Order: sequence, then structure tokens, then C-alpha cells
Amino acid sequence: MKLSQDVLLGLFFSVIGAVSAWIAWSYPFGTSSRMGPGYFPIIVSSLLLFTGLLVLLRARLAGSQPIPTIRWRPLVLVPVAILIFGLTMENLGLPLAVLLLVILSAAASVKFRLDWKAFVGSLVFAGLCSVIFVELLGLPIPIIGNWLQGLGF
Amino acid sequence: MDIFNGLLLGLSTATTLSNFAYCFVGVLLGTAVGVLPGLGPIATISMLLPFTFGLPVDTALIMLAGIFYGSQYGGSTTAILMNLPGEASSVVTTLDGHEMAKQGKAGRALAAAAIGSFFAGTVGTLFIVISAPLLASLALTFGPAEYFSLIVLGLITSMVLASGSLLTAFGMALFGVILGLIGTDVNSGAARYTFGTPYLLDGLDFVIVATGIFGLGDVLANLENEHKRIASVTHVTSLFPTREDWRRMSMPILRGTGIGVLLGVLPGAGVLLASFSAYALEKKISHRPEEFGRGAIEGVAAPEAANNAAAQTCFIPMLTLGLPGTATMALMIGALVVQGVQPGPDILSQQPALFWGLVVSMWFGNLMLLFLNLPLVGLWAKLISVPYHFLFPTICVFIAIGVYSINNSVFDVYMMALFGVLGYFFKKTGAEPAPLILAMILGPMAEEYLRRALLISHGDASVFFTSPVSLGTLTVAALLLLSIVSPRFRKVREEGLQEAD
Repeated sequence: MKLSQDVLLGLFFSVIGAVSAWIAWSYPFGTSSRMGPGYFPIIVSSLLLFTGLLVLLRARLAGSQPIPTIRWRPLVLVPVAILIFGLTMENLGLPLAVLLLVILSAAASVKFRLDWKAFVGSLVFAGLCSVIFVELLGLPIPIIGNWLQGLGF
Repeated sequence: MDIFNGLLLGLSTATTLSNFAYCFVGVLLGTAVGVLPGLGPIATISMLLPFTFGLPVDTALIMLAGIFYGSQYGGSTTAILMNLPGEASSVVTTLDGHEMAKQGKAGRALAAAAIGSFFAGTVGTLFIVISAPLLASLALTFGPAEYFSLIVLGLITSMVLASGSLLTAFGMALFGVILGLIGTDVNSGAARYTFGTPYLLDGLDFVIVATGIFGLGDVLANLENEHKRIASVTHVTSLFPTREDWRRMSMPILRGTGIGVLLGVLPGAGVLLASFSAYALEKKISHRPEEFGRGAIEGVAAPEAANNAAAQTCFIPMLTLGLPGTATMALMIGALVVQGVQPGPDILSQQPALFWGLVVSMWFGNLMLLFLNLPLVGLWAKLISVPYHFLFPTICVFIAIGVYSINNSVFDVYMMALFGVLGYFFKKTGAEPAPLILAMILGPMAEEYLRRALLISHGDASVFFTSPVSLGTLTVAALLLLSIVSPRFRKVREEGLQEAD
């Protein structure tokens, strides 16, 4: 079977349905008049599994749209940039984490080039974010993170 | 409390300096972010959410509502000037609005949208004033069976109105319900689907999922066809509608408002259905149907009025029943819960200042939009023309910080990244995420009401068919489902939603 839209979606629904039904199996089911924590999840996830199978069947019988081509660069780079942001925001502090996120995610664009103008722009933006979110809105994010404090900043 | 005293209370709440100022800031920020192409109200609200934390509840809600209709408004500006709808409901506006802009009538199209929106907003607010207290007192008589049926109706409506196949939408809704079930079960205290991490014990925050799918997911999808996103913003000239314009748009605005007010209250339908129906109606009854799609001012004024009227009245089920009718309202509930307010029929009696303050501030907000947007349209046009490669890193930063600020937890940022990738996956597989979002917040409610209803009836499911309200609601839901099977309705739905793609 070729990987069309419906095949992927059907697989996704079926797997999620099967896994969550299997997990919910360990919760007490209860009875209709006294529903246990497993009652509703089991019904919903079996329905999801069933729907997934139907979507697969539909793909088999009627065919489905092919998956449009995927540009992998932004798909990988932007989420990774956000993961790195999460990792660094408390350890390096907000300004540096924002700078990293801006530059890394911008690299996903076809128009990306790092010249001094773009760099200064990102620096200013990182500074602005720190002022707005930490100073004005009072979010508990350090300006200078743990790692840098350890280095004596 | 009668309506008059309520309005007085609302007036005194909404006109305190800080509430008035935050309403203004909300409207301004909402419009500014809403005009940015590719950012719908959901992404806008979740990006701006941290700005409302730390405010008192009433101020925060007023500001959130301002952000919401500001972003809605900004979306139509982008639709007219750039032919890029920020969300499905402004798709209709692009049909004639952008066509008018191409003919050099951008200013008049914007004015028609603004005037229509303001009029509809005023009527919508009045409608809230009159009907919300009635509905709230009616809702107090609702038992768990009625609530369960209303939730079912909301979910089914959102599935029927989703683009793509009904089966796919059903799967998305079920997946949403499972996501909503993550966390501690309120009744038994059992931890469900937490995978052993303490981070998920309180549940997966709905705002995080919405931000990931709609905020980050859209960024990922937009980066795909970056080459095609060549911004050509039409120049705006005269903003004043001619006498002929006034004559042509006054009746469509009235009709659009009527449609919007009624459809906004319907669970699950909301804004999208309102603008489509208003457009379809105008096209049908017009003497010059051939002008539609070629820059007919009626085709801008009517859907914009319907859109904005529905955007006001969709607050009614959210506030009085605690049941969100649209994904955006689900997000508002999420934001209210973060603030410690549980919307429901008691909100009127327990927090009258909150309710009435919000209603009055909505009208102020609409007035501000009228005066803010027409003169500032040059500024918005400049904002629209910011190239996407400068814009999207900024969006990434704002949504990442926004998500972090909900629980001050880095874990949430990681989850948001995950759901961003999922949002991209849904886009690629042609699955619309709106039913998922709605189901995520309605699912756990459905479980709770089902449990209570069956507990009372000792496990007898006929309770859903013996109460007249519940039976009526379920009948409407069943008719909706049946209608999609009928070939005639199917054709209309496909045509209508085709235009949305």
C-alpha cells in the first residue's frame, strides 16, 4: 500500500487507539451506573481504533490523495530550535536563549543569511524580550542563567 | 439582578481606568498580531496570553476578549489587502474584498467591513445582554443528561463543518477526547495516560496543544511554500464609502447580523458557518448575483457583519453553560481556568461584575476598533508587508515564552514543539484540527456528565431520551449527521468548504 494521506492518518488513529485502549485496560472499568476511570477511555479509544481501521479501509477501496512533498529542513530545524530554547532558557538565561532560538529557527528559511544586520536585529529583539517578559511582566525566567552564574557572571 | 442594574454595574466595571486601558491594549495588540498573515485568532490569543497573567480576573478577561475580536478584525484587514485569510471565517471576505482592493476600492471595502462589524458587534452585545441571563437561568434547570447531549451536539456540529471527510473529523475528535483525558481522574483520583511523569498529573494544558497545532504547526506549513508567499499589499486610498455603497450595504449588514447572532449561539458552528451562510444568502437574493466574486460590496459587508455578530454571541454558551462552541472559545475557557474562574450558569450570580463588565467592554472594544482601524490602516498595511522570514522567528519566540508562562514549566515548551509537528502532520494528511481542539476540552466534560447522568439513572441510558431538552438536542445532532449523507447537502458542504481551502 502506498503512503497516501489516508494510509498515514488511518495508521496514526489505529496506533493511538490501540495503545490507549491497551493502557486503559489496566484502569478499573466499573459498571454503567458506576463508571470507573477506565470506562470512558476504553470506549473512546476502541472507537478511535475502529475509525482508524475504517480510514485504512477507505484508502484501500477508494484510494486517497498522495502526501505532498515535505521540506525537511524547517520541519526538523524549527522544533529542534524550540527544544534547545527550552533547554537553555533557565540555564543560559532568557536573552541568550531567545538569540539562539531566533537564529536557529531563522536558518530554516530559504532566505536565511547571517550578516551583521540580522545579528544586531536579533540581539535587540532578545534584549527587548527580556525587558518585556522578565522586567515588565515579571515572568520567573533568569536573565543570566545557572550555567553562567557558575562561571562567575 | 435585572438587566438595567447589570448594565450599570458593567459600566462602572468597564470604565475603571485600568480596565478601559487594558481593553484598549488588548484590542490594539489583537489587531496588530491578527493582521500578520497566517496568524489566526487562536495563535494570536495563545501568543498574547502571558500579557494577561498577573492581572485581576475581570481585567484579564476584558483584555482577552479585546485580543480576540481585535485579531478577528485584523484578520479581515489582511484578507482584503492581501488575499490571505488568517482563518477560515475570513475566507469569504477575500472573495469580494480582495477583488475590490484590486479595483482600487480597498479603502471602501475596509470601511464596509468596519462599519458592518461595528453594527453587528453592537447588536451582538445587546443580544448577549438580553439572552445570557435567560439562558443562564434555564441552564440552572439542566441536569447532567442535558449537558451531555449539548456536548454531543457541539462535537457533531464541529465535525460536520470541518473540511475534509466526516470520518477523519470523527477520528480527530476522538483523539482530542483522549488528549483531554490525560491527567488525574477527578472522580477516582486515578492517574490516566500520564506515562509516570508528574508533569502530566494536572492534565495536558489545552492552550499548549492549541498553540502547538495552530501556532507552530502553521509556521512549519508556511515555511514549506515560502517562495509562493510574495506579499503584495494593495495601496489604500479613500476610506469613505460612497452614497451608493451605503445604499447597497445597509440591508446586507442587517441580514448578516441576524444570521450571525443566531448561528453564533449554536454550539460547534460559530463564526465560520455564519460568514458562509451570510455570503450565500446575499448571493442568492441579490439582483446582480454575477457581481459576487468580482468585488461586490455586499459580499464584504454581510459576511463581516455575520462574522462579528457570531464572534460576540459565541460568548453566550461559553459564559452561561461553560460549553465552548468554537475552538477559540475553548481557548478562552482554558485561559479563564488558568485565572481560576470556571465559567457556567453560576457566573452571573457569583461574579456579576465580571460578566457585565465583559459585556460592556465588548461594546467599547468594538467602538475602539472602528476608530482605531480606519485611521491606522496605513500602519497595519506596513505590518502586513513585513516579510515572513523576519516574522516567523519572532512568532516562535513569542509562542515558546507564552507556553512557558502558563505553568512556568519547560516541559510545556517541549510538548508544544511536539504538537507543532503533529499539527504539520495533520495539515499534510488533510485532517482539520478544529474538532480535536474542541473535543479536548469537551471530552472530559462529556465523561463527567455521562457518569453523573448514569449514576442518577442507575445505568439506564434512556435518560437521554426522556428529558425533552436532551431529546431535542440529540435529534438536532442526528439530523445534522443525516443531512451530510444526503447528496444535496453534501454538495453544498463541499462547495462551501472548498472555498475555505
